[in-house]
Order: sequence, then C-alpha cells, then structure tokens
Amino acid sequence: MSRAEVLTDQILERIKGQDVRVKREEILKRMKLLIEEFKVPESEAVRTITSYLVREYGVSREELMERESPLVRISEITKPNQWVSLKAKVVQLWDSNSPNVSQVGLIGDETGIIKFVIWTRAEMPEVQEGRSYLFKNVVTDSFQGRMQVNVNRTSKIVEIDEDIELPPREIQVVGAIISFQQNSGLIKRCGECGRVLIKGVCQVHGKVEGYDDLRIKAVLDDGESVYEIILNEGNIAGLTGIDLQKALEIAKENLDRNAVLNELRNRLLGRYFRVKGLRGGRYLLVEEIEHHKPSVSEFDHILEALA
Amino acid sequence: MIRRREVAKRVFAYELVRSTYQIEDESQPKYVLTPTGERANRIFSVAVLLDKEEIGADTNFWRLRLADPTGTFFATVGRFQPEALEVIGEINVPELIALVGKIRVFEGTSRKLVSIRPEMISAVDLSVRDYWVLETAKRTLERIKIMEERGNEDAELAWRVYNPDLEEYREMVRKAVTTVKEDVEVMERFEEEEEEIDFTGFELEEEEFDLTDLLEE
Repeated sequence: MSRAEVLTDQILERIKGQDVRVKREEILKRMKLLIEEFKVPESEAVRTITSYLVREYGVSREELMERESPLVRISEITKPNQWVSLKAKVVQLWDSNSPNVSQVGLIGDETGIIKFVIWTRAEMPEVQEGRSYLFKNVVTDSFQGRMQVNVNRTSKIVEIDEDIELPPREIQVVGAIISFQQNSGLIKRCGECGRVLIKGVCQVHGKVEGYDDLRIKAVLDDGESVYEIILNEGNIAGLTGIDLQKALEIAKENLDRNAVLNELRNRLLGRYFRVKGLRGGRYLLVEEIEHHKPSVSEFDHILEALA
Repeated sequence: MIRRREVAKRVFAYELVRSTYQIEDESQPKYVLTPTGERANRIFSVAVLLDKEEIGADTNFWRLRLADPTGTFFATVGRFQPEALEVIGEINVPELIALVGKIRVFEGTSRKLVSIRPEMISAVDLSVRDYWVLETAKRTLERIKIMEERGNEDAELAWRVYNPDLEEYREMVRKAVTTVKEDVEVMERFEEEEEEIDFTGFELEEEEFDLTDLLEE
C-alpha cells in the first residue's frame, strides 16, 4: 500500500463513527495529488484534507482531532511529525524568546528528557516545574538536529497525581565555559509569570515593573560534546561570591546593569568546571557546579602511558 | 536548518600550525584535519598572548601571537568578533588567556598559514592552563591510539595526507605535560602548606609562566 493510501485510511478510520458520506477515492485522489504530485509534507497534506472535510462535509473538527495518539515513552521518540501522548514531568521551564511560544522547557520520564514547546495559539493552561502531566496528542518535531514535542490547539494537558521518575542518568562533566548566551547576568523577570523581561517588556504581560534576578545561560564544552547549562543565583554566588545584592551594588556603582555581566564574564569564561547533573539531550541540568583543578597524579598517569 | 554547535577541539600549538589540510564539503561546516586525525572546526586553547599588533592605525583589526608549551600560533581579531575585540583592546601583554575560535587556513605563495579567529578571549590563571594541557594531552593520546589502529576514516585520511611520525607527537605531549607538572606540584605543595602556615606579613611572589624555551624555538 502506498503512503497516500495509508494516510487516507487513517483519516477514514477517524471519521468512521460519524455519519459522513465521503468516498475513499475522493480522499485518496486529493492525498495523491498533494503528496505525490506536489510533494507537500505528509502532515500538511493530512491537515489540508481534514480541513477540507470539515468545510465540505460538516465533519466535526473536534471528532476528527480528538483521537487518541498512542502513549509512548520519551526514548521512543525518534521521528518528526508523529502524533503521540506522553506522561511526563516538567523538569525545567525556560524563558520564551518569542510571543508565539507560551511555554518552553524540558519534560522527562523514566526513559529520557525532551524539549517541549507550548504554542501560544494552543491556549493551554500553564504547566509548572516539578509537576507531572499527561500530554495528549502532541506532535514530535526535529529542531536543530534534536527531537522535541510541540503542544498545539488539538493537544490536551492534564495534570496527573503521579510523580514521574526521571532517568537515573546523573552524569559528571568537566568542561570549559566557552560562551554566555543572551539574557545572562543581572536580568529582570515578570512579577506575574517569571519570564525574563526584554527591554522591560514581558512577552505575555507587556510592560511591567518586574523584579531582579541573576542567572547565566552558558555553553560548557569538554572537547567531545557541548552542553547548555543554566546557572541560578545560588550557583553564581557559590562560584564568584556575587549574589543578587552584590550584583545590584555593582550595577549601581557603574550606573550600568551590563557591568555585572562583564564581571561574570571575566570571572567565569574560559575556566573549567566540574558539573554534576542530569543529562537531557544537549542540556545538562545543573545540580552541583564547582571550579575544577587538575592534580599531579593525573599528569603522572599520562607520563606513565607515554613511557 | 541551523546546524548544531561545533565542539571546540583540544589541539596543541605544535600540531595546530601543521594542520593545513581542509576538508572541503559544501554540505558541512569547514573542517581542518590535524596530523593526528582530529576533525576540527573550532578549537579551545589556553595560551600566552605574547604580542598584539594593530594592523594599521585605528583599524580595530589585531594580529595576535600566542604560545602554549609546545609552540606558537597566530590569531586575528576584527570587528566581526566584538566580544573578543573588546577584551583585546584592554589586555596587556604578555597575559595568559583562554580562547575559543574558528580555524582558518591561508594559502601563501610558498606555504600555508594556520590562524585562529577567536570568538571568545578571557584572561585566566595558571590552573586553567594546567588543566587544559592535561586535557589536550589526553585527547591527543587518544587520537594517536586511533591513528595506530587506523580506527576511523579521519585517521586513514590523516595517514594519507600527512603520513605523520607519531613519536614526534608523543614527544610533544610528553614535553607539555612535563613542563606543566612541575607547576602543579608547586601549587599543590603551596596549598598544603597554606593550611598550616599563617602567611600574614609575607609578600608572596606570583609565579611567572616560563616562556624562555618557547621563545627560542
């Protein structure tokens, strides 16, 4: 059976219960035209045809969409454009840099950790770090070579009374911090939702007063892999002695909030750190971070190997 | 599609300046193949900035000469590397720095010149150099092992392109590790003593990075 036929039957399967008189040939013809002739991506073709059915045959959109995607484990997500459901815990929320994104971050189950995006258009209630949810009908996607899941209008997020275990994949990495990413240093967060303000504006709540916070998004490189890490105020204070209060003093003295960022750059960039944390894709969730120095015995090992 | 960030490889200066073979492939970022079979687009190095020279007055284009315990190499910084440029403007030479940058190979009339385009430069202390040497030594020995086993395609290619004398690179590692080990020993002893002895009233001289044997080369 061709892909067009498979997809056609999937659509027919979904509208089976409804009193709709549409011929298989008709759907198949459109499907073939879209994917074989015009080379439209499969997911687009399916979307186009379902919209057509809603418009022309009065098929209920809810019925069409409200199908149960198979419940999968995160480790099973390997291909883009698959509809799946997941039981997962919100591991970390990030600041979204785009007004189109309501929430973005990492979710995890026993088998792995994956990035998720909740589109603003999906109009979902906000999820919270540390809580577990059933993510119904989300779509897998590949972004910058990594898998992620997208929550859209037809998805559903239901909080579950279950504490999902995260993978016991605590790792330890010794690497150098080779770059700071945007919105690091002394930042302001929205009092409503905690998002980082960009030029005093929250993506969701507009121009707000906000509160100060200290954080660094950094790239850690050990010569074999790169990891993105986020350091919070506690981590930063532990490494540099600069806590939020000290940072505010530095900003005040220099009449420049960027002075804090420069100071942190000068103290942390190019240095080696030992980081303990959970690995999820290219992200490393920091549990402990400290400066790393070599010991004489390590040098002796190498000299022995050379002897 | 946006590519994944390239890992910054660890390569000693001695090997770096001999890495003149570029792997040309339109579908990939530009890689340089090193004589021990490392495929590198970006490097991380800890080296002494020996000299900075502005090419023409107020051009904000600097040529840097750097040295690690195995040799010297060049880097250029211009306005397309604003963060590195800012640091270079203020730094006094000589200074120990950590740098991350892209590798560039320039074709001269008689030979090829390897140069680095730094994206990040930061003044660091000796312990960073010590660990960098250790880490780079480990990575280099791993590569030498793969070369001996002809363990992957890049190793095969490196044999064809460079036909390297691996003993030469082992010697490079030995030299770098030996030089730095003494410093680490001094530091460890210093730290042990620090716990017992009260240093108030003493003026402790800071250790200098010994450059004499590098400059002679």
